[in-house]
Formats: sequence, structure tokens, C-alpha cells
Amino acid sequence: MRHAQTAVLERGERYTGGFATEPYEVAWAGEARFFVQVVDGAPGTTAVLTTQLSPDGLTWADAEDAAPREIDGATAGMVTWRIREFGGWLRLRGEVRGAGDEGPKLRIYLVAKE
Amino acid sequence: MSVDLGETGEAVRRGTLAANPALSRFSPLPRILTYDDFNTGTNGWTELIGNYDGNGNLSTVDDHMRDFRPPQLSNCTFFDTGTHGALTGTYALKLATRPYVGHTATAIRRLTMARKGLVQLETYFTYKAEATLGTDTANNSFGGVTWDGNLHPSEAQFGALTVATDICGDGGLRYHTVMRYRNTTVDNELDRRWVYPVVPEPTPREHLEGKAKLAYGADFTAPDPADWHAASEPMDMCFNEVPTKVNWHYLRWVIDTEARRNVELQVNTNVLDLRDVPVPAYAERYDSLDNLLNFYFSVRTHSGVRNFLYLDSVLVSVDW
Repeated sequence: MRHAQTAVLERGERYTGGFATEPYEVAWAGEARFFVQVVDGAPGTTAVLTTQLSPDGLTWADAEDAAPREIDGATAGMVTWRIREFGGWLRLRGEVRGAGDEGPKLRIYLVAKE
Repeated sequence: MSVDLGETGEAVRRGTLAANPALSRFSPLPRILTYDDFNTGTNGWTELIGNYDGNGNLSTVDDHMRDFRPPQLSNCTFFDTGTHGALTGTYALKLATRPYVGHTATAIRRLTMARKGLVQLETYFTYKAEATLGTDTANNSFGGVTWDGNLHPSEAQFGALTVATDICGDGGLRYHTVMRYRNTTVDNELDRRWVYPVVPEPTPREHLEGKAKLAYGADFTAPDPADWHAASEPMDMCFNEVPTKVNWHYLRWVIDTEARRNVELQVNTNVLDLRDVPVPAYAERYDSLDNLLNFYFSVRTHSGVRNFLYLDSVLVSVDW
């Protein structure tokens, strides 16, 4: 059987500006997929999400073949994308645009497979 | 049902264990309940979370129990030397905190009891604080430790690691057995003692009943540092100088679910008799937990630097 693992990187934080998820080790995996879900929306907001890679969990670069993804932060919804050949570590760099005092509540899943 | 192999059977059992490279480094009781080699996956060790309402609304989870972080399968890679690997094979289970003072990462394994008696958990583990990269000379000193070519301030940036249970039976009588290596106090001073809590862990029901409300980053096992008592004198470990060298430690912990007691803790050459260490039970009974037998590991940062606990393998055995 192929090993597979789902990690809930963020469970429902509200974001109003820039953020990054915690480093997550996936050296064992050959493929992965992010799911970013707006659990509770904030009017007029957009979340822009960029996949990042790292050789050591300390220093990060944008993935060269994964364009930033956008999701409407106003209403409940979900966006997903795949990534391969990512080395040992994955995280998301995010930016919520248009937020006032309260941004959208996001849930972020990383699903990795051998 | 209890295991009685007789003299010959016991000799065969011991010989079989000794001849098995994966098991010969353990000293299991007669029945192996679980053997977790993290080269084969997470083996049921998963993130702990507090309880939530009937709508799956995770905003109803207690603040101090909503962010224990997902365990990772790590090949123990570091910035200076690359992949270290585990004690055996490539992968270890890694618990990683956030860089936030008081944050705790927790992995739990959920079983039930088919009988009561001795339960023994063995593991090969190591612990680290995240390496700091930069140019600030202030980073050469932390928590009273100054880099001298041997000692490294990273050692004082590691807070505590904990191995514990959550057990319930006999009509809802619930208790935890808990052993913590308190590397530093919450004030970041080296302590290096094994400690245990004298109060039961605050539960979501107690919060709902208005008895407990803890903040994010609170110590979920026992929030008041005064409620942790020493089970040992300071015990040196092999942190090995810098945050990027990994030396695996052996731990063997025995409890008695019949007597609801701790029994013994072995860490490398040190053996602690824990039979006089109290195990506080909840005053109220709990439903839906009959024969609960959970094990958890946690790691807590007192410095705000990410803290890591790595487990190469875990073996749980019983005398049933």
C-alpha cells in the first residue's frame, strides 16, 4: 500500500495580512496537494497563496512551477492544487488582501502521498 | 488470557527477540501490543485536539487544546549536514512546536484495555531546539548558557518533553500517568529533572462547566508550574552540543493499570522507582471512555524557539 498522510496545517485562523504556515516535512512523499478552505468569510477579501520549498525548514523559496493561487475570502469555498518534486519541506506563504479588522477564517490541509 | 509461557517458552521468546534486529534493542513484557517503526508510517500516532460541538465548529475547542500540530515523518535533516536519518532507516516521527512561548505539540495513540496489569512503553527518542541562523552575537547566549565551543545556547532553548497516558475504567474512573523531562523551567533556566503533575489534566468538560479556562499556550497537562513535582535529581542527557546533532536515547516506562500507579522509568543508565509517585484521578466520573488506554508524547517550548521531539520507534507491551 502507498503511504499517505493528511496534515491540517491550519485549523481555522483568521488572517488579515501576510502569513506563512509552519514548516512541514514531506521528504517521503512524491506528490502532494494543498486544500485551502474559507470556513468563515470576510467581505471584500481575497487570499493569495504561494507554495514554498526549503532544503532545511529554515530558508524558503517560492516553488518554481506552482503559480500563486487566489481564493475569494468573502464566502465559504475551497481551492486546491497539486505539487510534485518538492524536496523535503513544504509550506504556504499567504497574503489576505482587502481585510479590515477581521479577515477570513482559513483551514489549510496538506495531503501527501508516497 | 495472561501470558504464561513456562520456562522453555520464555527462553524461546527471549531468544526470538534477541535474534530479531528490530526488537532486540527493546525489553518487552510478554505480549507486544504495538510496535511502531516510523519507516512504515505514522502507525496511529496522530494530533491531539480538544473536543468540539455538534456542528463540528472548531471555534468551540478550548484555546489551549486547539493547535497541537500534526506529527511529521522526518528524515532528520539539518541546515549544516543535510540528512541525519533515524536510529534505524530514514524516518522518525517528529513533533514540532510553533515558535511561541508555551506552545505544545502533541501526538497521541489511542487504544483500549483488554485486561488490566503492567503496561510498558519503550522508545528511542531525541530532542532538539530549532537552529538559529543569523549574525546577531546575542544569539551566542541564552538561559545562562554561553557558547564556549562545547556548550551551546540551543540546549537552554528546549523546554520539556512529556510521555503520558489517558486511562479510564471501573465505571468512568479516569486518570493520567505522566512523566516529563523538564529541561528548562518556564523561565528558561536549566532544570533537567523528571517531574510529574499532582493534579489531573483540565478537560473540555471542566471548561464547559466553567471550572477551567486556559489561554493559548497554557500547559494543558497541568497549567500551574507549582503543580509539577520532582521525581528525580537533575539528569544529564546527550543533547550533544549543537541543535543539529542527533543522539538517540532509550526510554522505558512501566505503569500498572490494575493498581493505577506508576512503576518505573528507565532513561539510558538511569532507573527511577516511581511507585511512590502519586497518580491523581478525576473526582467526577467520565462516560464514553470505558477501558480507554491512550498514550501521548508532547514537547513544549519555554523559549519561543521551535522545539522538536523525534521518536525513532515505540513499543508498547503488557503482561496480560
